[in-house]
Amino acid sequence: MLLAAASTSAAQTKPSFTVGWSVYAGWTPYHYLQQSGIMRKWADKYGITIKVQRFDYAPSLDAFVSKTIDACTMTNMEALDMPAASGVPTTAIIVGDYSNGNDALLVRNGAQLKDLPGKRLLLVQKTVSEYLFDRAMTMNGLKDQIKQVKLVNTSDSDIATAFLSDTNVTATVTWKPLVSQIRKQKGITSLFNSSQVPGEILDLTVVRTEVLNRPDGSGRLFAKALAGAWYELIAKMSVPGPEADKILRAIGAGSEDSLESYKEQLGTTKMFYTPQSALVFTTSAEIKQKMALVRQFCFDHGLLGTNTKSVDDIAIGYPDGSAQGKGDHVRLRFEATYMKMAAEGKL
Amino acid sequence: MTPGITSIHAKPGKSVTVTLSWFLFAAGLVAYLITAAARHRDNPEERVTPTVAQMVTGMTKAVLSPAEDDEALPEGASWVTRLSRSMLWKDTKASGLRFFYSMALLLPAVMLGLHMGLFPYVGALFLRFVLFFDKIVALSLLPILFIVFGIDELSKIMLIVVGVAPTIILDTFNLTRGVPGEQIVKAFTLGASDFDVAYRVVLKQIWPRVLNSIRLNLKAVMLFLFAGEMIASTDGLAYRIALLRRHMGMDLIIPYVLWTALLLFLVDLSMRLLNRRLHPWFEEGGLREGGAG
Repeated sequence: MLLAAASTSAAQTKPSFTVGWSVYAGWTPYHYLQQSGIMRKWADKYGITIKVQRFDYAPSLDAFVSKTIDACTMTNMEALDMPAASGVPTTAIIVGDYSNGNDALLVRNGAQLKDLPGKRLLLVQKTVSEYLFDRAMTMNGLKDQIKQVKLVNTSDSDIATAFLSDTNVTATVTWKPLVSQIRKQKGITSLFNSSQVPGEILDLTVVRTEVLNRPDGSGRLFAKALAGAWYELIAKMSVPGPEADKILRAIGAGSEDSLESYKEQLGTTKMFYTPQSALVFTTSAEIKQKMALVRQFCFDHGLLGTNTKSVDDIAIGYPDGSAQGKGDHVRLRFEATYMKMAAEGKL
Repeated sequence: MTPGITSIHAKPGKSVTVTLSWFLFAAGLVAYLITAAARHRDNPEERVTPTVAQMVTGMTKAVLSPAEDDEALPEGASWVTRLSRSMLWKDTKASGLRFFYSMALLLPAVMLGLHMGLFPYVGALFLRFVLFFDKIVALSLLPILFIVFGIDELSKIMLIVVGVAPTIILDTFNLTRGVPGEQIVKAFTLGASDFDVAYRVVLKQIWPRVLNSIRLNLKAVMLFLFAGEMIASTDGLAYRIALLRRHMGMDLIIPYVLWTALLLFLVDLSMRLLNRRLHPWFEEGGLREGGAG
């Protein structure tokens, strides 16, 4: 409906777009982008209107898939298995960061990975948490024992309490700030975290491809405005000092985090503070290797849909024009144009 | 003059009544089919409104093959093996067990309500507390339930019991109080003991109403069961729905929801039939035939 409203009003007024975000160290800057007026400044520059809307994570994905919003923050895994696999072609225009320790596998009483078969492990199943667990076991030669671990699907709103209060549960996989909360208890150790799989859990800003390719070109203006606003703020965040602290404190307020707690989360988030660094990663051969792991995981776990017969049916496109999977089935595309324009100062 | 169709005195014929009673089902179904067809024309990979064929395919798989995390079936497995190892059966069994355990735990609640209504000391001890407890939103106590009962089956069953039992206790209490005092006096003059009065005079006649009260609370039982399974679980109908939601598996979610509705309807129906069988003398005052069903 929003879309209809947007397109009918476009004739008389400025084109209007909505970007949705949810709480995560690498996405909370959107809270500040809106609050500080940076987003409005860039929208005005390109003659459009941008609405920034906060969601819980799962509802933000639903809103994006149902085309209620035009852009959204999500991980590479969800971008592939939610919109892309549901026939909503999606383009990643900003590769913001990757999890570099934000996600962790925690155990109590000094258990080791090899002790986990037969034990219970709390996690939100079919998300990056299960991906991380899968990788931890695989990288330690325990792939054949993954199925013997009793995975308990636990909602993220209750996972910390559930793990802390039931001392019979051996392990959990979750993310920050829950990880920090759990680690405060005695006897909890971290066995594996996402810094051991760098670049595999990516945090993106994605736009629906059909919005990006609107014939009137307004979609591209939207992408330019998003990238412009994003890199203006991120640059300010990256220079340590009182000025950056003021901004970080305001960003942290968006997730009810103190300055210290937000900084701690950023410490385990590999932010691409400059468009150059994001560009280098997005156009590298490395990203293809990482995505190959992720898409195989999604396919093996049925996340690409029960009707998807082959991993190649939901293909991924890269800036160099190559595709992973069937070339005519590209559903998720990494687009470097806007990061490149930011890097060259052309926004 | 015949009253118009908007009149309270209108008397629709039998065939009209039947047609009308199915009308909204048909309208809903047609609206869905049209929406689904339109969305699939627009986007052939659409997953939010699956077609009937997709739902049938999804459900057939759920009925005949095991969940993806379970062992695969041996070659040429018999129908019985296939059904008994299937994902749907596994989930239904897990949810069903939790459901029946919690229903069984509602029986002590009925007994407590009865004793509270009859024995003044019991009433004095429990009534105020249960009235208070009834207003507690059980879901908000979850962390405490985890600490006390762990995260396994027990906490899920206790969530249901804590959520529904106070209502049943209070309802039984009120029903007990509603039994005319004359009957109790009469039973005593005929030489009945306290327990004769409690179980053979009062309980016997409030049973059908208690059963109806439990029937009305089936939905609440189911809500708490689903909440529990979505919070922490390894199997069950709501567990599967929660997992499928992660990749928009509506082709299975919709059949699962309909299957759950059917099961709940059958439980309700069998309780109604049982009630009629056990208490043929009882007339559901105020409710027309099948009213609450």
